[in-house]
Amino acid sequence: MATSGSSETNIFKPSGATMKRQILVIGMVLAGWLAAIAGSQGLVYLLGHSRQGESISQWTFFNLPIPFWLTGQFLPLWFIILCVIFNIWMDRHDTHGRGAALRFRTRSNDGREE
Amino acid sequence: MEPGSVQYLPLSIVAALFAFLFFSGLGARTRQASEYGFGGSYSGRIGIGAAIASNWMSAASFLGLAGMFYLKGYLAMAFVVGWTGGYVLLLVLMATQIRRFGKYTAPDFVAFRYESEAARTLAAIIAIAIAAIYSVAQFRGIALLVSWLFGIAYTPALIIGASLVVGFVVISGTLGVARNQKLQYFVLIIAFILPLMLLTRKLGYFWLLPQFGYGTAISELKQQFGFVWPQPFAGESPFAWFALCFTLMFGTAGLPHVLSRFYMVPGIRDARWGVAWGLFFIALIYWSAPAYAVLARLFEARGSVPFDPASADTVVLSAALHGGLPVWVTGLLVAGGMSAAFSTVTGLMLTGAASFSYDIYPRLIRPNASENDKVYAAKGFFLVLSAVSLALAFRPGGMMIAEIAALAFALAGNTIFPVFLLGIWWGRANAAGAIAGMLAGVIITVAPLVAGGSIPLIASLLPYTSSAFLGAPLVIAIMIAVSLMTSPPSVEIRTFLNRHVHDGAEE
Repeated sequence: MATSGSSETNIFKPSGATMKRQILVIGMVLAGWLAAIAGSQGLVYLLGHSRQGESISQWTFFNLPIPFWLTGQFLPLWFIILCVIFNIWMDRHDTHGRGAALRFRTRSNDGREE
Repeated sequence: MEPGSVQYLPLSIVAALFAFLFFSGLGARTRQASEYGFGGSYSGRIGIGAAIASNWMSAASFLGLAGMFYLKGYLAMAFVVGWTGGYVLLLVLMATQIRRFGKYTAPDFVAFRYESEAARTLAAIIAIAIAAIYSVAQFRGIALLVSWLFGIAYTPALIIGASLVVGFVVISGTLGVARNQKLQYFVLIIAFILPLMLLTRKLGYFWLLPQFGYGTAISELKQQFGFVWPQPFAGESPFAWFALCFTLMFGTAGLPHVLSRFYMVPGIRDARWGVAWGLFFIALIYWSAPAYAVLARLFEARGSVPFDPASADTVVLSAALHGGLPVWVTGLLVAGGMSAAFSTVTGLMLTGAASFSYDIYPRLIRPNASENDKVYAAKGFFLVLSAVSLALAFRPGGMMIAEIAALAFALAGNTIFPVFLLGIWWGRANAAGAIAGMLAGVIITVAPLVAGGSIPLIASLLPYTSSAFLGAPLVIAIMIAVSLMTSPPSVEIRTFLNRHVHDGAEE
């Protein structure tokens, strides 16, 4: 039962195929999360500073100035999309990996997996 | 907002809403599990999401965010991104795993994972501090609304508001009223969005989706009044924006009363989908909040009302008032704000009182305390916590509601978040590392408040509302270093983590 070496929990050294798959999808979701935040703000900053004071707020999308829409509307929507993608993947992954997972699961009184 | 006269109709609407929520909670107390959306069905997951959103919605979301946007423009977008993006971190890194630990509070988790009563006590003290700071923001919001309702000044309004909170909790607790959070969310969202739709309709904008319709007001402000909304990053550096945004994200994934939602959800899939639905419901409010700030500016410009930074936290209310909405609509808005603040402050106070009566009192103060003693300790500490938050809310140091809340997020992001993150994802993290990390996190949070004035470097690198951007990685590094220098955790806890939490030992 010792958990040393490669079987010790470490997000950078996952042990087992299930955990490796899970960490891969976590990494992809977090990359999408970070890239959207940094990318959108980088774009807003560069556009604002490359037009010599001319307002980028003149450009609108869905009635809103681009920076407002990109940051205030798109990013929260993108986060929801990331959560949905992650959940769908995890639901499928749970089904595929159930044989391994059930060894350590219990069931509550109403039969739900815990 | 200046003192005026008693607003009888809005006051009646507030009273009616609280009576409605109170009696629905009274009726739901015996069937709490299903009413809270814990059924596990598809509609149950929506219910869990609504409960997560209701648990989250506070005076900072309802009043503070629009106030920040009114006052600081694009910087407020960091709140929108931080308070929604944090849920992605929470979902992918913590929600499933926390559920598998099966512990009911943050200190419980810390004590179990790190096998340390000292770490439990420290986590409990930090949880209490977070509850106290966050409650100050709620008390300020309640006081501003009570001030308008009764036409009185801030200080007496604060005392009345705090008394109402204490009375509400005492009566609810005595009668065993359940918090029907699913119902409460739908009341909140209607109270927030309906006035906005009516305002944009009155202005002739695209009122069906006022979250987009308010863009016309930005153009009108510029064309008719020459007011240009400040350019992004014009008033603050990109570092300040990112530091605030990531502090709020780390704090979201570290707030004890948010984390505790996942201990109580019946299934792992329900926990995950509950987060996604919860984020959608939260985003509905955040997509809408900037609109109130823009419309308030427009009405001020139209009515030649001077810009008043002191009224920023009530800008939602002033938009409705200057927009000429019927009084009952303004009453609905106030009722929603009061409900959000009351719900949050109640949850925070109860979390703080439970941390004291369960994690500190029987372990440090009275080791042989009976269950009855613990109940009295919880009640007594609830009153102490209320008094402390009330005292701090008298003079919140010129901070706005959202800024006070951000300070609580900074503390959570610097302490609880790293401890949970490494506790879940690194088997080698041990008690010494957790204790060192939490202590360092407290110092990092407090440093800009204590030494920021005399050491400008601290104030610029660790702004008090945004210290977790650099602070959380620093705490993680300290935890790793201290853990590696001291003995590893027991084989039992590492095995539990690897097999029960992560399914990692199938090979």
